[in-house]
Amino acid sequence: MNQLIDFVLVSVVLFSIGIYGLVVKRNAIRMIFSIEIIANAANLNLIAFARNIHNVQGQVFALFSIAIAAAEVAVALGIIIIAYRLYKEIDVHEFRSLKG
Amino acid sequence: MDFLSTPLLVTVILGSVGLAIPIIDSLKKERGSNNKLYCGISVGAILLIIGIIIFRIISGEQIPTIEFGKGMLADDMFGSFFAISLLIVSIMVTASSWNFMKNKSNPAAYYSLILISSIGMILIAYSTDLVMLFVSWELMSIPTYALAAFSKRDPISNEAAIKYFLFGALSSAILVLAIGLVYGITGTTNIGQAIISMVNLQQDLVPISLFALALFIAGFGFKMGLVPFHMWLPDAYEGAPTTIGALLAAGTKKAGFAAAIRVIILAIFVLHLEWSMTLAIIAIFTMTLGNLGALIQKSVPRILAYSSIAQAGYIMIGLALAPYNDQALAGSLFHIINHAVMKAAAFIAVAAVALTLTSYSIEKYRGLAKRMPLTAIALSISLLALAGVPPLNGFWSKLVLFSVAINTGPEVWWGPYLAIAGVLNSALSLGYYAWIMRKMYMEDSPDTSKVKEPRAIVAVLIFAMIFMVGFGIWHAPILQFATNSVPNLSQLTAILPSIPLK
Repeated sequence: MNQLIDFVLVSVVLFSIGIYGLVVKRNAIRMIFSIEIIANAANLNLIAFARNIHNVQGQVFALFSIAIAAAEVAVALGIIIIAYRLYKEIDVHEFRSLKG
Repeated sequence: MDFLSTPLLVTVILGSVGLAIPIIDSLKKERGSNNKLYCGISVGAILLIIGIIIFRIISGEQIPTIEFGKGMLADDMFGSFFAISLLIVSIMVTASSWNFMKNKSNPAAYYSLILISSIGMILIAYSTDLVMLFVSWELMSIPTYALAAFSKRDPISNEAAIKYFLFGALSSAILVLAIGLVYGITGTTNIGQAIISMVNLQQDLVPISLFALALFIAGFGFKMGLVPFHMWLPDAYEGAPTTIGALLAAGTKKAGFAAAIRVIILAIFVLHLEWSMTLAIIAIFTMTLGNLGALIQKSVPRILAYSSIAQAGYIMIGLALAPYNDQALAGSLFHIINHAVMKAAAFIAVAAVALTLTSYSIEKYRGLAKRMPLTAIALSISLLALAGVPPLNGFWSKLVLFSVAINTGPEVWWGPYLAIAGVLNSALSLGYYAWIMRKMYMEDSPDTSKVKEPRAIVAVLIFAMIFMVGFGIWHAPILQFATNSVPNLSQLTAILPSIPLK
C-alpha cells in the first residue's frame, strides 16, 4: 500500500461513494456528507500526488481546501437548521415549491 | 507583491469596510435598523474602488494582460476589466438595497456579505494560480449561500439556498479534484507553468489532462449555468431575495466566466483544438434550452433566470472560437459587461415591483406602465437590450460575437452554425421578452392606482438606462476596453510553437 496508484484508487472509490450518496439519498445532512466525501477524495488525491512528486504545494492546498470545506459546511448547517424550523423536516423531497 | 497593487487595494478596502460594518452594528447601543448608514458606507467603499481602478487605467499605470504570472495574483487589464464590471453590479445591488432592505432584519450582515463576496469575484479575475483561484472562488460562493437564504422566515428563500448550496458545494469539490489532477501531472499549481509543462506531457498522461479539463468545465459550468449543469439555477435565482438574484445572475456568473477564460481557454490551446467544438456544442444547447425554458414560465424572475442561461450560451460562442479568431474573446468580454448591467437592471426593476406589489407573477405586471412608469420603461429597455435590439448595448456585443462566428467560417466548418443558432435564439427570446412588455403596456390591470416607486431603485435604474442607451449609441469605448483586456493569444502561441494554430 505504498504506491501512488493505491491512493488514487482509494480516492476514486471515495469519489464514487460520494456521487452515489448525492444521487440516491434525500436527507439534506446525508447529501452534505456525500459532498464532503467527494471533497476528501480530492484532498487525498492532492496529498498522494504531493508525496509522489516531493513537492509541498499539494499538501498546502489540501489544508486550504479542508479549512474552506469546514466553512462551507458551517453555512450549510445553518441553512438546514432554518429549513428544519420552517418545515419540521430535512428531506429534500419536501422542498418543492420551486419548479418548472 | 506590491502593496499598492489593485487586487490588494480591493481586498484591503472592501474587506476592512465589510468587516467593520458588523462590528459597528454590534457596538451600537440603540436598537433599530441602520440600513441607510450601512448602505451608504458600502456604496462609498465600492465607488472609491471603481475610482481607483478607472484612474489607474486612464493614467496608463495598469499593465496589459499577462497570461503567465509568476505570483499568485497578476495586476493586469484582464482583472481590471472584470473588476469594473463586477463592481458596477455590486454597486447597483447595494444601492437598490437602500429600499429593498428597509424594515428587514440584519442589514449589517447583508451588506458585509455582499462586499466580501465582491472581493472573491474580483480576485478570481486577478488570480494566476490555481490555489488563489480556488480560495477566491470559495470566498465568492460561501457568502452568496448565506445571502440566498437571507429571508429567514421565507420557505422559498430557504429552499433556493439549499439547492444552490448543494450544487455549489459539489462544483467546488469537483474543482479541487480537477486542480489535484493538474497538480499531479505537472507538479505545479501556477496556471502558466502548468500549461507550459502540459505541452511537453508524456503521451500516456494526456487522457488524465483531458479528464482534468472536463472536470474544470463541469466545475466552472455549474456557476456559469451551462446546460448540463443548469438545473439549480432557475430555482436559486427565483427563490433568493430579488436583489441577491441580481448579484447571482450578473455577478457570480461573470466571475465564473473570468475563471473559465483564465483556465479553460488556455488549456484548450495546449491540449487539443478539437475540444473547442465541445464548447460550441455546449453553447448551442445552453442558448436553446435557456430560451425554450423561459417561454413557459409564469414568474418574472424565473424568466430572467432562464434568459441568463441563454445569455451564457452567447458568451460561450466567444470562448469556443477563441483559438481561431482574435476578436472572439473581446466579443465575449464585451457581452459579459453588457449582460452584467442589463441583467442587474432587469432584476432590480423586478425587485421594485416585488417590493411595492409583493408579487413575482407575470399577471401582476399588467398595466404596470401606468402604475410604475419609470420601472416599466427601465424593465422594457433592459429586456430589449437582452434581446439584442439596436441601438442598445446588447445589440453591439451580439453583433461582434456573431460576426466573429461567421468570419471563422474558412477555418472551422461549425463556426457559422454558431452564428445561425445565435440569431435564431435571439428571435426566439423576443417571444418572452415582448410578452412581458405587452403585459406592461398593452393590458390594463383591475387596479390602476399609481404606486410610489422606491427612490433609490429608480436612481439605479436611471443609471442603468443611461449605460444601456448611451453605450448602445456610442459603443466604441467599451469595445476598445474589452479588446485591450483580452489575453494576448498570439503571444501565447509564440511560447508554445508546437501547437498547430490556424
